[in-house]
Amino acid sequence: MISLNYRDSRPIYEQIKDELRKLIVTGAMSADEKLPSVRALASQLAINPNTIQRAYNELESEGYIYSVPGKGSFASADAGTDGARKEELLAKVQELVKELRYLGVTHEDLLALLEEGKEHD
Amino acid sequence: MIEVNNLVKTFDGFAALDGATLSVPSGSVYGLVGPNGAGKSTLIRHLTGIYKQDAGSISIGGQSVWENPALKATIAAIPDDWYYFLQSTVVDMMRFYRGFYPQFSMERYEKLKEVFSIDEKKTIRHLSKGMQKQVAFWLTMCCMPDYLILDEPVDGLDPVMRRQVWSLVMGDVAERGTTVLVSSHNLRELEDVCDHVGIMDHGKVLLERSLEQLQDNMVKLQVVFQDGMNEVPADLPVLHASKIGRIHTLIMRMNAEEATAKVQQYAPLLVDAIPLTLEEIFIYELGGANYAVKDIVL
Repeated sequence: MISLNYRDSRPIYEQIKDELRKLIVTGAMSADEKLPSVRALASQLAINPNTIQRAYNELESEGYIYSVPGKGSFASADAGTDGARKEELLAKVQELVKELRYLGVTHEDLLALLEEGKEHD
Repeated sequence: MIEVNNLVKTFDGFAALDGATLSVPSGSVYGLVGPNGAGKSTLIRHLTGIYKQDAGSISIGGQSVWENPALKATIAAIPDDWYYFLQSTVVDMMRFYRGFYPQFSMERYEKLKEVFSIDEKKTIRHLSKGMQKQVAFWLTMCCMPDYLILDEPVDGLDPVMRRQVWSLVMGDVAERGTTVLVSSHNLRELEDVCDHVGIMDHGKVLLERSLEQLQDNMVKLQVVFQDGMNEVPADLPVLHASKIGRIHTLIMRMNAEEATAKVQQYAPLLVDAIPLTLEEIFIYELGGANYAVKDIVL
């Protein structure tokens, strides 16, 4: 379910974080679904359990997952509290918009894209 | 907890260990790295009670390991040259191990038989080098050790087996809180399995950090300065700088935010912070200790 890319420059714990976040955000992992235990993931990926614990702790503080003592970690329904990630993504959008304009995509095209997203909600 | 304090060991006047100090927290996986001849294996032989130090102290779980069979029954090790009796089969060696380790688990032995799929009635001498290493892992994991000491453990193992043995070791760390000390030159692999790293050179431990600190303490920046600025500003605390085209690659000893902020003062066109791999950290840390790849053309 999680695959690590050893040529990626991101540290391992960040890769695990990003992969899990993707699963939760896209709905591949539904709300209140149990995440694999640290132990299971450690032996499955052959990764230090502390590295996985670090990824879990950070996801929890960002609101993507919550943990129940003695039961494990579960996916949260929404993570409205993660302001840092919002800023990060908005900065990325800005960068993308810059590049799209450079490529000649018009303001109207971009607006149309936003409108399209709105209809999907 | 493994604590080594100012360890000194001299062979014929040569100090293989020259005041080495390190500490391995319980339940952590500690990677010991260093150039050839740094003293890693010598240190490991002290931890397993094979050598007696000239000076300094070693304590494992608060006890001294020298001539301490009760403590040694909780320590399992795979040395770089694993020993087996010349005519022995896997079963013979299993009986030998079982005699020394009271916690030896036959249940695990049977389970691991399937994992390694080696005929237990085969004479070990007739197995290949990689398969002998597998037997060493097989028997060592059955000892249910509290401390696992591995010297170049995955040398000679194929990629599937490497992953297999690491998966077994990581499972044990997560489940039983085993403390692991591993020496290796495969830094790519250590990066996955370790949470603490010690770098040795010339019989000393140069630095010892958690992997987290190590990664947060050094950063690689790719910077493009504005036109007319061809040199890296002299007051930037740069450890190492190189340049390809207009792109400067700077290694700085600080975290990514600090370094980016420092470079931003010069209003560069582009700044990109890239985390360093353990291999790069190793090279730059030892570069300061006069150990680097020399430019020699043959």
